[in-house]
Amino acid sequence: MQNIPPTSAIFTSLLRADLITQWRNRKSFMLILIVPVVILFSWKSVIDERGGAFVLGTCITLGLITIGLMGYSNSVARDRDKGIFQRLRVAPLPAWSIMTSRLVVQMLMILLLTSTVFIAGFYFDHISLSAGGYLLGYVTALVGGAVYLGIGQMIVGLIKNAETVHSTSRLVYFVFIMVGMFGELGILGTPIGNLVKWSPYGTVKHILASSFQSGSWDLSATRALLVTLGYAIIFSVLGIRWFKWTPSEKG
Amino acid sequence: MLEVIDLNVKYGDFQAVKNVSFSIQAGEIFGLLGPNGAGKTSSLSAVEGLLVPESGSIRVAGFDVKTQARHARANMGVQLQATSFQPELNIAEIIRLYAGIYGVILTREKLDSILENINLREAGAKKFGQLSGGQQQRVSLVIALIHEPKLVLLDEPTTGLDPQARRQLWERIEALRNQGHGILLTTHSMEEAESVCDRVAIIDHGQVISTDTPQTLIDSHRNDPAVIRASRKGKITLEDVFIGLTGSRLRV
Repeated sequence: MQNIPPTSAIFTSLLRADLITQWRNRKSFMLILIVPVVILFSWKSVIDERGGAFVLGTCITLGLITIGLMGYSNSVARDRDKGIFQRLRVAPLPAWSIMTSRLVVQMLMILLLTSTVFIAGFYFDHISLSAGGYLLGYVTALVGGAVYLGIGQMIVGLIKNAETVHSTSRLVYFVFIMVGMFGELGILGTPIGNLVKWSPYGTVKHILASSFQSGSWDLSATRALLVTLGYAIIFSVLGIRWFKWTPSEKG
Repeated sequence: MLEVIDLNVKYGDFQAVKNVSFSIQAGEIFGLLGPNGAGKTSSLSAVEGLLVPESGSIRVAGFDVKTQARHARANMGVQLQATSFQPELNIAEIIRLYAGIYGVILTREKLDSILENINLREAGAKKFGQLSGGQQQRVSLVIALIHEPKLVLLDEPTTGLDPQARRQLWERIEALRNQGHGILLTTHSMEEAESVCDRVAIIDHGQVISTDTPQTLIDSHRNDPAVIRASRKGKITLEDVFIGLTGSRLRV
């Protein structure tokens, strides 16, 4: 009789494979790291105007959007479409371990992205934070990342076809970046600006920027944190509830 | 090894599998034959635990597939109809992944010997998509067998293979039978069923029509007018019995 393998051994194997997959998926890897750094370089003038924390917050938020919408959702949709999940599900592993392993890889990507932006900000724009600011920055980046991973999960939950997931996530990505960036700079008018402030883009960017400077955390930052947590929970719960392991699976 | 009793599978209002029962013993190759949409894959998916049946009981090596799912899966090896692995991983990494998932300790030597056994020693660094159909089937089969399961489920394993690769796979399946594995095979090929299977069940419209050894099925339906009508060369084959029992109308 075969025994059930220990969950730790299963999880280690899944995680190793998912890390290799992420590493070899260079296009997504570079997109996640390069886009925020390019924005950082091109926003030198904004640093003087709005401060380093604002720019760092914006760059990390853009990276988080890329991870959730361009990385996670597309890889899950592809693997579902190709039957990779089905092959894993006939093995003696708990279903949660498949997704948890992938989420751990995405969390590592969030930490890598945050570190890259911090290092680039320090070397090229001389933006330095206190030790507490860096530490809180990592924590809030993970919280903010959960919102976008939740949105990515919701997209693959709602849409079964991998190609449609791909195009939808691109569209949502574009909307978030364009409306978010221009909206918060006031270019799209006050109503849109207010909407952006309490959108996933605005609240994530707000808590990130506030966490970088310990003295700047105020009531509105706490409100933004609560809204961010609310977004993360709602999107994740809906995404998990709607998710099907195969494109053709019946409800 | 495998016991399926009164299995019922429904998709909404459509009943795909109706009261299907069969069992497989150790050292037996059991074929599930049926036209497209007959209920073969639904039955197999229920055994694999990929879908929840409406009713019925499935036990693998004594474990209930519903209530002891992980124990049941640990005792079965599965080759799905369209197996796919992460395209970023190479063959050695894929084998390592599944060895870890099934709790098998894989040394470098053991991995080399596995690759050697399937004539893919040089292909360890290749991606799954770079292999030919026959090579992909060999890798899928190796992964299905990596933990030496008691029950092996093969869903149309020879589809798309050339005659050489198909014969080679038959030999591997027969070798598994000789080692005491119970094997459940679904196939469209009557030649395959006749050559390889010890017993077959013909399934149509979700129901098992007949279960027996291929030769007994041929003998017992030899005088059936529908089977005689289906016969093309005078000699009754398993395919004639199959067409006689399930009809010659095309299925989609």
